[in-house]
Amino acid sequence: MFVYHAKLTGCRTEVLSKHKHNEPLPETVLRVKALESLLVEKGLVDPAALDELIDTYETRIGPRNGAKVVARAWVDPAYRDRLLSDASAAIAEFGFTGRQGEDMVVVENTPQVHNMVVCTLCSCYPWPVLGLPPVWYKSAPYRARVVAEPRAVLAEFGYTLADDVEIRVWDSTAEVRYLVLPMRPAGTQDLDEELLAELVTRDAMIGTGLPRSPRA
Amino acid sequence: MPVLKAENVAAALREGSTARLAQDLPARFVCGQRVRVANINPQDHTRIPRYVRGHVGVVDSDQGVFIFPDAHARGEKVAQRLYSVRFTGTELWGPQGKADTAVYVDLFESYLAPQ
Repeated sequence: MFVYHAKLTGCRTEVLSKHKHNEPLPETVLRVKALESLLVEKGLVDPAALDELIDTYETRIGPRNGAKVVARAWVDPAYRDRLLSDASAAIAEFGFTGRQGEDMVVVENTPQVHNMVVCTLCSCYPWPVLGLPPVWYKSAPYRARVVAEPRAVLAEFGYTLADDVEIRVWDSTAEVRYLVLPMRPAGTQDLDEELLAELVTRDAMIGTGLPRSPRA
Repeated sequence: MPVLKAENVAAALREGSTARLAQDLPARFVCGQRVRVANINPQDHTRIPRYVRGHVGVVDSDQGVFIFPDAHARGEKVAQRLYSVRFTGTELWGPQGKADTAVYVDLFESYLAPQ
């Protein structure tokens, strides 16, 4: 929520600040704590496994995985073709498999089409390539507005596209998880795969952003 | 139910658990076909977002066969074909929608009727 709010300007901020009821409440935190201690006391959850899960997504699995996939697709046309025709298999070539990435689809940005991803029903997100979703991705304002006015939402993230670019929003309502393949930035012909990966931001792979420009 | 131990976390995450089924089913719809989404409002689980109920879209792709979540929520494992359906901004939002925006929603076969 904070990240999303920080990106908003002018009257939008005022409108959305009324949506405070969507922010996590201390009551929710208390409920989570109560549930956790109950599950641990009953022996249904191993606290060491919880720590391991948190550590995995805090330090090992995150958007750097997706950035490697994108950079490979930019330098290797055969890999790009595999990624667009069978994303799960192409991503598995890097070993990025598993929970919430079992059935992947990659959608490609072009000069005519810009793609954005949402889960209007909850917070579905491709964990093996992007890690866990940012808080704004799970917030009601993002989920409600991106399907109705994607161009305005993108502008609030700081990006304005030409009027003739079609925006496609992918709502992950079932078990398919989506990753955006952004366009390779101009002026990067001399960069190798590793340097290209550094330009690929998390938001560029959700479609709420674009890759960084070199030396920007 | 076995308790997940710390030493098994990495393997469990890496393996995941797909809802895709190897089972083949006939496809009732083809890509390019116009379909109308059912306007149903069940008390229990469905994966039809309210904003597409009753609206007309075009089948964009056949995603294959998956466990049908509406029945799975009741404990039944039913196979059903899933489609990605494209809706234009104007179809969904009327005059406030934009013709140059589209929303693609993954919808199960039983949610859809030929239009």
